[in-house]
Amino acid sequence: MKFGRRAFLQIAAGAVGGSLLSPLPWQLAGDSARWSQNWSWRPSPERGEITKVPSICTMCEGGCGIQARLVNGNRAILVEGNPANPVTEGGICPLGAAGLQFLYAPYRISRPLKQTKGRGNISGFQPITWDEALAELGKKLAIVRGESKAHTVACITSGRQSSMDDLWQQLFSAYGSQNLFKMPTQADGLRSSALLTTGIASPYTFALENATHVLSFGSNLLEGAAAPGRAFAALRQWRQNGNVKLVQVESRCSLTASKADQWLAVEPGAEAAIALSIAHVMIAGNTYDADFVKNNVFGFEDWTDSTGKRRQGFKTLVSSPTYSPEEIAKKAKVDAAAIRALAKDFAAQKNAIAVWNLGHSDLAFNTYDELAFVALNVLKGNIKTGGLVNLTADIPLGALPAVEKDALAENAAQQKRLDLTRDKTAPVPQNGLYGFLDSLAHGSKYPIEVLMVHEANPAYSLMESRLFQAALDKIKMLVSFSSFMDETACLADLVLPNHTALERLDDVKGIPAASFSYYAVSSPILKPLGDTKNTGDAVLALAGKIGGTVASSVPWKTYEEFLKFRVKGLAETQKGAVADKAGIRLTSAEPVKPNFKDGDDLWKKLKAGACWYDAPAEMPSFKTASGKLELACQAIPVAAAADDHMFLPHLFTIKLAGGEQDFPLLLVAHSTGYLTSGYLANPPFMNKLIPDWTLKGNEEFVDVNPQTAQSLGLSQGQSASLRTTQGEATVRVNVTSAARPGVVFLPKGLGHKAYDEYIQNKGTNANSLMEVLLDPVSGMGTVWATRAQLRRV
Amino acid sequence: MNEKKSEASASKALGVVFFLAGFIGALVLGWVVFPNLLYSQKAQPMNFSHVAHADNDCESCHTFRPDGTYTGVPRLDKCKECHETAQGTTEAERILVEEYVEKNREPMWKNYAWQPDNVYFSHAPHKGQGLECIRCHRDVTKEEKLPAYRENLITGYSISTMKMTECEECHAQKGVSNNCEICHK
Repeated sequence: MKFGRRAFLQIAAGAVGGSLLSPLPWQLAGDSARWSQNWSWRPSPERGEITKVPSICTMCEGGCGIQARLVNGNRAILVEGNPANPVTEGGICPLGAAGLQFLYAPYRISRPLKQTKGRGNISGFQPITWDEALAELGKKLAIVRGESKAHTVACITSGRQSSMDDLWQQLFSAYGSQNLFKMPTQADGLRSSALLTTGIASPYTFALENATHVLSFGSNLLEGAAAPGRAFAALRQWRQNGNVKLVQVESRCSLTASKADQWLAVEPGAEAAIALSIAHVMIAGNTYDADFVKNNVFGFEDWTDSTGKRRQGFKTLVSSPTYSPEEIAKKAKVDAAAIRALAKDFAAQKNAIAVWNLGHSDLAFNTYDELAFVALNVLKGNIKTGGLVNLTADIPLGALPAVEKDALAENAAQQKRLDLTRDKTAPVPQNGLYGFLDSLAHGSKYPIEVLMVHEANPAYSLMESRLFQAALDKIKMLVSFSSFMDETACLADLVLPNHTALERLDDVKGIPAASFSYYAVSSPILKPLGDTKNTGDAVLALAGKIGGTVASSVPWKTYEEFLKFRVKGLAETQKGAVADKAGIRLTSAEPVKPNFKDGDDLWKKLKAGACWYDAPAEMPSFKTASGKLELACQAIPVAAAADDHMFLPHLFTIKLAGGEQDFPLLLVAHSTGYLTSGYLANPPFMNKLIPDWTLKGNEEFVDVNPQTAQSLGLSQGQSASLRTTQGEATVRVNVTSAARPGVVFLPKGLGHKAYDEYIQNKGTNANSLMEVLLDPVSGMGTVWATRAQLRRV
Repeated sequence: MNEKKSEASASKALGVVFFLAGFIGALVLGWVVFPNLLYSQKAQPMNFSHVAHADNDCESCHTFRPDGTYTGVPRLDKCKECHETAQGTTEAERILVEEYVEKNREPMWKNYAWQPDNVYFSHAPHKGQGLECIRCHRDVTKEEKLPAYRENLITGYSISTMKMTECEECHAQKGVSNNCEICHK
């Protein structure tokens, strides 16, 4: 017998057959899959006890209830909506759900940094201790103040409403500077229009939950609105009940427009024209709330101003043929019959509301556009106690002690806010950030020694971003409190990193545009990971370093003590109640019975993730010259109103730079549900949601109508050069009927230069291409479009 | 001619023998040798007698949260409720008190049912369906000694970790979806 090749093959064949009938290959196949779960480079949370910690999200102004899942109390593995929050009932937006990616982000700043080389040179940042950092800034602030130049210190803080606003305000009042600004939000527009019409500087609110017909002027409810959790909850309720009609008036078929019952595609900037034309039809057909208007409204009929001059009223103005659907249809490039139908619908519904400034842009409409939307609600009789439109009620938190002002503060306070020192200032000034930057960029009355930036990234997220760059050249020292190496932090001379949202004790003062009162404390879900400091604590420490009346005006040792003090004040009013379950009707007019004992009890409940709420407040009595709701806004000085219509909502467009010949198209920067464009950069989870027609590789797409694309010789996916009066970028073209002819749409949120490889150098920063216009009444920055051209490359 | 024929049949028979040798060898390897080679026996920190704790019901130690999710293997705090000092003279009792309770150290129990990370499993929906624990876990009502913990050398998971086919079979029987994303989120 010879054991040859044949015998070997016979044994091998037997072995193959045998092993196929044994568990060996199948077990190995399964085990190799399970083995792959243990590869060391595969991220895997540690094992241990799983706990859930409720808190409140502070990544935007929405104040949504969240809960975090942790392993062993120190490794967060999930953030989800908190079902016990009565506003969001478990809902959460993609940004909130990706919260952990900011907590564990590689671009976090884990300790204070000092720039030792030139501004913007990343390699020049040297780590320093907190003692050194606070001593350096404290010394600088004390020296500047000692030289009677306190007014040359400025701060830009987040657009979010929190107790940090009050702390900054207290510090700046005691220090002696008025140059404290908030990043622009749409609440600015709602506040400014409320101030003009009611005399009260509290933003208008919308009882979305009680409406049956919603006429939305560019409000991107599904793209996040101003408070995503509440907007999603309202939409869910509308769709579940099935009896609410949503009409979207917008130039692009946004996600909201595509899910609305009706979309009216208008020219950019023509939204208010539609509103005025609807008013024209309602007045002509006598389908408005005549009783409400007669008893509560000033300026509907013709009126006499303070100098005795007879002035045109809203009715006379809007009844002119200029505002007829036929005329407006030409301007807005829509069908006149559609405007008439819209007006008929809106007038017929009992609970119809016109909403605006809910997620259209960070910037408000111009004043007269805002007033046009107010006018529609006036005609429906909505602006009253228990009505669909009201004013934001103050949260009765513990009042801060009176500021002690020494001679230095008194003297410095004589110096006007920088935006108000310009030759041509706004008659009813509001958020002056753009005016401030504009005066710095174009030769200001006095220089700025120190600019502090808190929870904001103006170098990226302000529209017309080059304005910030130009202003920065005139600022001697830039201090960033950012948690991340963002575009602004990169330019800073000193970085004092804040804890990230999930590590920080913070609070939420109200939900933007919500008719009910809301207050929540956001408690940290875990201990801070790096050597960072809550900016609240840093501000208190700085006040201590400056000393004197500045220190004594902020008597709290820690930010926690300050927040506790505020909550104690809230508890003492015995107003409102703690909500720790879903299903509470927050918009119900019925009085709320307090369910907390004292400050400690309320603090404990709020720290545990519950929120405080109160029923919609009564409409306060108007503080206008007439004591009524003013459609003819007498707050606008007679000297500033050359013509009658300057007091009234009317067709008003701020002229854009650039000629139609050079720039035949309009560029509109828009929000999406998958890109965030504010202080926080788009997290990796959300990057995964970006569709191929928005970003491919590093190239961003603009939406262009097929007709426009054809006339420009462009086809799907082609590269093009997009040039505006502000800048230039290379983009690709997405040919879609979602875009209006003649308009180019560019999503906001891409084009970062900072952060890490997952987000930087992808696409174009829309803000760098947009032109911001200063509103003639409020002085605020406003934007509706920018002149542009698109060329094949 | 005949000689040639018988040579051929002998070679054929021999071929069958070789084939069978390979076949049986592989079967033995696959069924007997391999499973013994694949798993190593690991000791638990100490013995735990479920019988000795039978005066409690299962859920007084294996607790569930109000939403139905399982809180995990009981931690030392639970043991301490009774075993702050030794309750008997067994070796396990000594280890518990001396090594863990007194040193305030968590015993690192090896989990017989731990699923790989790519599987999302929650007790909540399963318990909600009224499934008995022993549908998936071993019956411990008469168990005095913890069974040997046999760890798979390749995967690091226990031999008793449930396989996907078992999940799928039960889901199919109960009419529950077997779509990938139900378990692999």
